[in-house]
Amino acid sequence: MSEGLNYTFLIDTFFIALSGVPITLLVTIVALLFALPLGFLLALTRINQVPILNWFSRIYVSFVRGTPIIIQIFIVYASVPLILSLFFEKYNININVYNINPIWYAFIVFSFSTTAILIEVFRSALSTVNKGQLEAAQSVGLSNFQAYRRIVIPQALVVAMPNICTATVNLIKATSLGYAMSLQEITLKAKVAANVGYNYVEAYIDIFLVYIILCSLVEYGFKLYEKRLRRYKYVSA
Amino acid sequence: MLKIKDIHKSFGKNEILKGVDLSIDKGDVVVILGPSGSGKTTLLRCINFLETADSGKATFGDLQVDLHDASKKDIHTIRQKTAFVFQNYNLFNNKTAIENVTEGLIIGRKIPKAEANNIGKKALDKVGLSDKYDSYPSLLSGGQQQRVGIARAVALNPDIILFDEPTSALDPELVGEVLTVMKNIANEGTTMLVVTHEMSFAKDVANRVIFMDGGVVVEEGTPHDIFVSPKEERTKKFLKRVLPEDYTFYI
Repeated sequence: MSEGLNYTFLIDTFFIALSGVPITLLVTIVALLFALPLGFLLALTRINQVPILNWFSRIYVSFVRGTPIIIQIFIVYASVPLILSLFFEKYNININVYNINPIWYAFIVFSFSTTAILIEVFRSALSTVNKGQLEAAQSVGLSNFQAYRRIVIPQALVVAMPNICTATVNLIKATSLGYAMSLQEITLKAKVAANVGYNYVEAYIDIFLVYIILCSLVEYGFKLYEKRLRRYKYVSA
Repeated sequence: MLKIKDIHKSFGKNEILKGVDLSIDKGDVVVILGPSGSGKTTLLRCINFLETADSGKATFGDLQVDLHDASKKDIHTIRQKTAFVFQNYNLFNNKTAIENVTEGLIIGRKIPKAEANNIGKKALDKVGLSDKYDSYPSLLSGGQQQRVGIARAVALNPDIILFDEPTSALDPELVGEVLTVMKNIANEGTTMLVVTHEMSFAKDVANRVIFMDGGVVVEEGTPHDIFVSPKEERTKKFLKRVLPEDYTFYI
């Protein structure tokens, strides 16, 4: 006994889903702010074979990359409160761990998982800039830091951009798993709205639309930025 | 002006430099010849600290440094006194020709931008690239890129320019333009230490030729000494292999 789509609900819920966008973006941006510098530094430790740190980043990448994000969420969401409550008890801090906003767990999970992805992105991008340019920079009197900032990073960034874009879009989509820890993002909001009248199909269509609009906008932004960055590459070298 | 004493360098178990001495006076154009793997490039790279020698001493004017554990400051000073031209040009791909030349002046030497641009333009004019100031390396031919590389070195006005096989990566028809530029700057009295396989350059431009083999200096002297009356058997053998007039086989 199909009644077709409930269009009023479809439109109303679209805006409910849309109201989850700020949380989704906040988690994405915080995760990127954390992961971009850390991923870059750890990629450097891999390329320059820094003892211990190099080994650490390799294991870190294989752990994070080798486990589903939903499992990482469950682990963090289940274990961090336990650790925190022990800690709070010991130091007599009067905070109920179960009142902590789940967004903090989201920050942790997505920051760490994105770092792992970006280590690999930067590692491959940095190795595309030949070592000779670094040597040339040193030979004309630039410090290592200056050489990286002025010569190596601008070129590595151009190579990394498409992959950073992919990582960002994947991150935006992955935050939908935040519903598993009641993060008030796009997916959860739309699903909660759907629960009332069992309008799941409409809700899913709305979620689908919101993500595709959001991701397309982000992709477009990256494309513009990449174009600006790669103005020196008229022909491929 | 530049003296190198007893420089040693190994890569793992492979000993590349087995105690090389070298002395260069102001205005000298010294060419180092030798078969590949004889340590010519490594010697040059150790002088500019692109490789760290296992042992050895260098004297630049009145500055004495240990090539094995020089301080950061000494390395910086020596890099200010030297410039390096690379086999693969190693231009900064994200910078235009003029920016490639001025980068070391503005950032490395803190010269004001306007002044650096003037120096840079003059250097590019000298290598015949007056019309390529704003070209990115990807738009230049190999020969043009190497000439930018030379301009980058010349602009720094160093005491000595180190050339590491500057024409080896070039198509044969582009070698000439680079050698001409090198000849011109040699004629202006620039001190140069050149590793090359271009025998004509060694014969016509160098005032001293060093023949290296197996990590040691086998023989050195004027181009006439080396090319016309070499004393060592290894030098004779090498020259016989590389000099065109001695080719005895045909395809």
